[in-house]
Amino acid sequence: MVLKPTQPSSAGGEIEKMESIECGKEVVKQFSFGDGYRNLNHGSYGTYPLPIRSVLRHYQDEAEARPDKFIRYDYPKLLDESRAAVAKYLNAPVSTCVYITNATTGLNTVLRNLVYETGDVIIYFATIYGACEKSIDYITETTPAESRKIEYTYPISDQTLCDLFEEAISATKAAGKVPKLAIFDTIVSLPGVRMPFEALTALSHQHGLLSCIDGAHGIGHIPLDLTALDPDFFFSNCHKWLHVPRACAVFYVPERNQHLLRSTLPTSHGFAPLPKGSEAVINNPMPPSGKSAYITNFEYVATLDNSPYLCIPAALEWRSRLSWQGKKGEEAIMAYTIHLAREAGKTVSSILSTEVMENKEGTLSHCNFANVRLPLASSAVAGSDRGKAVRVAQWMEKVLVEEYNTFIAIIFYEGAWWVRLSSQVYLTVEDFEWAAGMLKTVCERVEAGEWEQ
Amino acid sequence: MANSIECGKEAAKHFAFAEGYRNLNHGSFGTFPTTIRDQLRHFQDQTEAKPDSFIRYAYPKLLDKSREVVAKYLNAPVETCVYIPNATTGINTVLRNLVYKQADVIIYFATIYGACEKSVSYITETTPAESYKIDSTKFTYPISDQRICQLFEEAIGSVKAAGKTPKLAIFDTIVSLPGVRMPFEALTALCKQHNVLSCIDAAHGIGHISLNLTTLDPDFFFSNCHKWLHVPRGCAVFYVPVRNQHLIRSTLPTSHGFAPLPIDGAGKVINNPMPPSGKSQYVSNFEYVGTLDGSPYICIPAALEWRSRLTWEGLRGEEAVMGYTRHLVVEAGKRVALRLGTEVLENEEGTLGKCNFANVLLPLKFSEIAGGDAGEAVRVAQWIAKVLVEEYETFIAIIVYADAWWVRLSGQVYLTVEDFVWGADVLREVCGRVVKGEWQQ
Repeated sequence: MVLKPTQPSSAGGEIEKMESIECGKEVVKQFSFGDGYRNLNHGSYGTYPLPIRSVLRHYQDEAEARPDKFIRYDYPKLLDESRAAVAKYLNAPVSTCVYITNATTGLNTVLRNLVYETGDVIIYFATIYGACEKSIDYITETTPAESRKIEYTYPISDQTLCDLFEEAISATKAAGKVPKLAIFDTIVSLPGVRMPFEALTALSHQHGLLSCIDGAHGIGHIPLDLTALDPDFFFSNCHKWLHVPRACAVFYVPERNQHLLRSTLPTSHGFAPLPKGSEAVINNPMPPSGKSAYITNFEYVATLDNSPYLCIPAALEWRSRLSWQGKKGEEAIMAYTIHLAREAGKTVSSILSTEVMENKEGTLSHCNFANVRLPLASSAVAGSDRGKAVRVAQWMEKVLVEEYNTFIAIIFYEGAWWVRLSSQVYLTVEDFEWAAGMLKTVCERVEAGEWEQ
Repeated sequence: MANSIECGKEAAKHFAFAEGYRNLNHGSFGTFPTTIRDQLRHFQDQTEAKPDSFIRYAYPKLLDKSREVVAKYLNAPVETCVYIPNATTGINTVLRNLVYKQADVIIYFATIYGACEKSVSYITETTPAESYKIDSTKFTYPISDQRICQLFEEAIGSVKAAGKTPKLAIFDTIVSLPGVRMPFEALTALCKQHNVLSCIDAAHGIGHISLNLTTLDPDFFFSNCHKWLHVPRGCAVFYVPVRNQHLIRSTLPTSHGFAPLPIDGAGKVINNPMPPSGKSQYVSNFEYVGTLDGSPYICIPAALEWRSRLTWEGLRGEEAVMGYTRHLVVEAGKRVALRLGTEVLENEEGTLGKCNFANVLLPLKFSEIAGGDAGEAVRVAQWIAKVLVEEYETFIAIIVYADAWWVRLSGQVYLTVEDFVWGADVLREVCGRVVKGEWQQ
């Protein structure tokens, strides 16, 4: 009697049997938000529908039903199926796609594996995610690498951004240094705006830099074709926009670069030490597989609950059931969320009498975010004290959670407070109308000095 | 006591194994009772109910509470204890943060866990550090604690005699394979004596044996809660005394809490999405390390509460759990060895078995079956493991060690002697099939 890995028949069946669901009020029933909670900040942590929770729990139950059997024998097969599904989705060869826990791990895996010589420079943009900048700082402290930060403020045109990038590369070379690696986002975190990442990737190639794309906001958010894009390193959080549970990110490295990444993070069983003559065989508890050393290396990276990695096929299946205005699946989702983000931005900025962050060409908003300025005069509220301004933002966020049963990301950017609205399949314009009214009131409370108490 | 659970058949009802599956290898991945599963799911549901609200505001408080509880359990100051996903992350956090000079040496034992040895290899490839392995030419189990300590001092001596600096020593509380206790207290004391940083891989530690980190006073220590503390995967406690925290600048990966060295006196202001807290920089650094499901970390209080309900022969809680599992596995070792006509791995002083493992020799002649080929021997072991899973609804860790095959039995609160008597019969049968050559097909 050979026991095969069981598919989540009940949960998978649940998704298979689903009729199509229209984005908006109908979809929200598939989620498990607390009473009346309005999730207006999907961008930070994502979430997933109940049918996916069933799939997650199925795998978790399998792991506890027969721990060694599941983890050693079943999991690798299920993982490969999932890798195949995500590789297809991204139009990438399956040999280039592995899973890691999150984008921060992706960046650290790249940064820490590369070998730097004196004069090597890492170029990045001012809008880099905080933890990524910290990671670069750590590298410049502990290796010969230096960094070069491209300062700029939004709004800015894609063309100008690309020009700044080329200037940074030239300036680096003119200083007698080597621009080794460029890090840039698909979509910036805060403010939430799209970057011209395709053009930046092409420029990286052109000028001989390795391109490392932080696609934290990427998969499931915007269409991606990794074969056409052809970056040197790319990672994207599936738990943000692909309706997959935390924590799960896809890590893409074309075969030409895989030799640059010797170790996973942390180093684990799959690491192949440089040969030093004959040595004892180091015990690897995982059964042998026929896969490449690179793939095998990332198959088991220390004990975790990796059930989220296995949920991609079900998540894609669930998403294929969504509809909007005659569109289906990915098309429906992306069209709906971008449309809703635009509507949200218009609505909120109109009610607040402010504006949406956008450049002249209208390219910043080609994503599910809308950044709207709050009607607060920073000089009146916080003087020129940036620390105070940050505290105001933190106070507002806390009030949103404690009193309004919602959360919206609020940042202090270039002398003003901005909210970053995240659109999603479970939201409608009405959610953002409500948000606008609520934000108006909260701003009035700030002006009344309540945040200082 | 109304709430009490007797170790053995009664405790087994609290777990969610497939019907008929006998989990004889708790040591590899652990597991947890359904009460803890429900607690885990409760936290996960709370997270999805209000993601930002839970992750940014509620979670840090729950994490601190959990840290307090685990610190108390280990008798360590709370500011020394943080959570990480697993022991491998622990060893990598230590190894990768330390700054090595030419001639710095990392000393470790041949019985080091595979992934840890790989991590040491990576460090010696990418930094000036070298390594010194107290290897199988120097010792093979069974060996006395005294001899282990002697070998350790000899290693330190050799390194110094070669004009090098023994910087860090890595050793286990309990070795993984074979599953034997090490004299880690004595080794820690020797490290202090010889001015070597002690890094204890206590993957098998918390919830398995009594630990007092104040008395032990290692330089670095990490232990998997998901192995023996009935906590879900992945969760490990990472202990670093305050005196050493400055050596651990970065989490793995580096994240929001990293404090860059100030340049020109003024530090950079980089957006950190977590609300400010009043904790030390070190503790804050480990509070949020990339997006993960942090629910296992906050299950410790519930796990300790569940364990406090266990009983055995008038004992309760931790005493019952540790007393029962030790007693069971010693009995298990005896019975299995008897049935197989072999022996349990033990030294003269009887210290190797002071843990929840019993290692029993399989009745297979190494030279006959594997022809002295290590690769073949490993394939035999892999075949046995696969057959156990596919045909017998169980799993037992099997290793090739010192030109023989051994099984590592794990004791647990949900097992009884009968499980191991059954296991012995299965092993007899499977060994018979090996001898017949079935593994080669």
